[in-house]
Amino acid sequence: MTAQVPDLIRSGMPSACAGRFVLDGGTWRDMVENLRHSTLPLLGLWSDGVQVHALFMEGTRPLLASVAVMDGRYLALSPVRAGAAAYERITQDLWGIEGMGATDSAPWLDQGRWPVTWPLHDRPPPAPAPPEGVEFTDDAAMVQAGGTVVGYGPAEGDFQSPFHLRLGLPGERIMQVRTRMGYAHRGLCARMRGATVAQAARLVARIDATVTVAHQVAFARALGAAGEHAGADMDDAAMFVSELERIAIHLDTLATAAELLADGRFAILAATLLERVRQACREGCGSRLLFDVLPPAGDAGRTVSIPMEVLTELRTGCATLRHLFWRPRGMAMQARGRGIVPADVARRWGIAGCVGRASGVEGDLRPYVSRSAGREGTGGDVADRLAMRLHEVEMAVDILSTFDGAAVSMPAGYDVHGSGEGMGCVEGPTGPVWHWVRLAHGRVAAWWCGDASLLLFQALPGILSGAVYEDVPLILTSLGLSAAGADL
Amino acid sequence: MAYLNLFWPEGAVLPRMVPLDIFHMETGGCAGCAIELRSLSRALVEGHSDIRFVSTPRQAGLLLVTGSLTVDMAPVVELAWQAMPGTRLLAAVGDCAVDGGIFAPGYAVLGGVGGRARASLLLPGCPPSPAEVLDALIRWRTQGEGEAT
Repeated sequence: MTAQVPDLIRSGMPSACAGRFVLDGGTWRDMVENLRHSTLPLLGLWSDGVQVHALFMEGTRPLLASVAVMDGRYLALSPVRAGAAAYERITQDLWGIEGMGATDSAPWLDQGRWPVTWPLHDRPPPAPAPPEGVEFTDDAAMVQAGGTVVGYGPAEGDFQSPFHLRLGLPGERIMQVRTRMGYAHRGLCARMRGATVAQAARLVARIDATVTVAHQVAFARALGAAGEHAGADMDDAAMFVSELERIAIHLDTLATAAELLADGRFAILAATLLERVRQACREGCGSRLLFDVLPPAGDAGRTVSIPMEVLTELRTGCATLRHLFWRPRGMAMQARGRGIVPADVARRWGIAGCVGRASGVEGDLRPYVSRSAGREGTGGDVADRLAMRLHEVEMAVDILSTFDGAAVSMPAGYDVHGSGEGMGCVEGPTGPVWHWVRLAHGRVAAWWCGDASLLLFQALPGILSGAVYEDVPLILTSLGLSAAGADL
Repeated sequence: MAYLNLFWPEGAVLPRMVPLDIFHMETGGCAGCAIELRSLSRALVEGHSDIRFVSTPRQAGLLLVTGSLTVDMAPVVELAWQAMPGTRLLAAVGDCAVDGGIFAPGYAVLGGVGGRARASLLLPGCPPSPAEVLDALIRWRTQGEGEAT
């Protein structure tokens, strides 16, 4: 008998957080078993030391299942949801909480150089001496095939957060990919614990500069859900700055991809438009990268705006970019067929957002967007992803135009003194960004967040297999990976 | 034609414009400074400037570090520094790289590289804009590149 997983989760005990249910061990086991036959996507998995929480998306509504940790263990989700593997390994690295039956138990973040083992544990044991070097285990097929092993990262001079890929190239094409993360881990969960809401908000804005507004909005929503500060008056302001960020990030990605594809005309135009947007952000919002624009970190009650002439310039610029993109021997033709993420792979790893939509996985957490189906390709290659980004820039310009150049007021600032627990989930430029926060007397007692990057990093071996080495930077750029958001 | 005497051996010594090759490393911050440096890099390429960002430390004369220095990135910075040929200099850009900024030292973070090594150029800001970075680089160059290590 297979019960519906959402119903099974809702049969648990409701908690202080709306949409979170605490399951007992038996129900959690039933849920894991039923997930085999369900398509409910898993967005994240984390722990607060006492319980383990799993975040699922039921349409656009978050649904959380929690289970108490017994003897430092819980039943793992990775056998039924591939994307849970990295989350389980991170929970093991930070808390020492082990997932029983996990597909992989190797460290994900902890490379052996931290001065403590399990840093978030109540009594972290001392760490052994750091390793002399890095050891990788190659597949038997790779060892048999021989050939070259090439490293990519952590310092490539490409202005990205650090991560390392070990690429096995028996011939022309990549056969094996090993990821090594943790270079960008700053211990954000440890920093957040005990921080006031204002301090936490400043940290949240600096988790990842490429999705800073999405993090700020999701955190503000989580705070709103935790207290009585419902973010109803924040919707307009959040939408305004989110779309502004989306334009900037997509233009940056498009310009970088054009440079890699040696399309100078496209790159210069995209970079020029990007610089116009950044300058408009500084003049209209106070920060080029939109750091600290939303309360509680930003100035309460300030207004943000973007001049109409910038939007007009963006609209004509996008039309030219579209023409350049699709012209014969343009970027679309060059990028076609490279770095394919098929729809089933995207679903298997739970990849959503812009990358997922380019692969044909529908879903957008923005309530104000209705995507015109079939306008862009859904083959899931680099060309489709870049076309999707260009399309989203145009849509965002249209959305911003509805404000007609008027200034949007930021919501009034507030000071949180109470206790509570809340969840916030928004659509960032590359995918869903979510924050979960538990407050105790105005301070953060427990916190975790996630974005699309971690799932994409896990899917990288499948995406890069079969690609040529020269395409790796282009594929990574089109995916919009950010190690800063994945490592926390 | 009137100023040819400048080029005679006894004429004024004109500074020779040596290109500045910069290798950038993000050592574990939010990558905001890196985004601004990417914008700067595009402008430098477009303007045919003699200040360039290179993709390997083996070609670089200046190691430009942004972001708080994480425990795992420290050996990578050391390796990049050792790979740089001849006279080499260090620059720390952004609050995190200068003194740790918002990411104070913890179990995974050592603090800013500016507090741990002698940097020739320290530019605070969260993040500094491309114009500020370029201004600082040019000012630092015209004032003399300091003593090389």
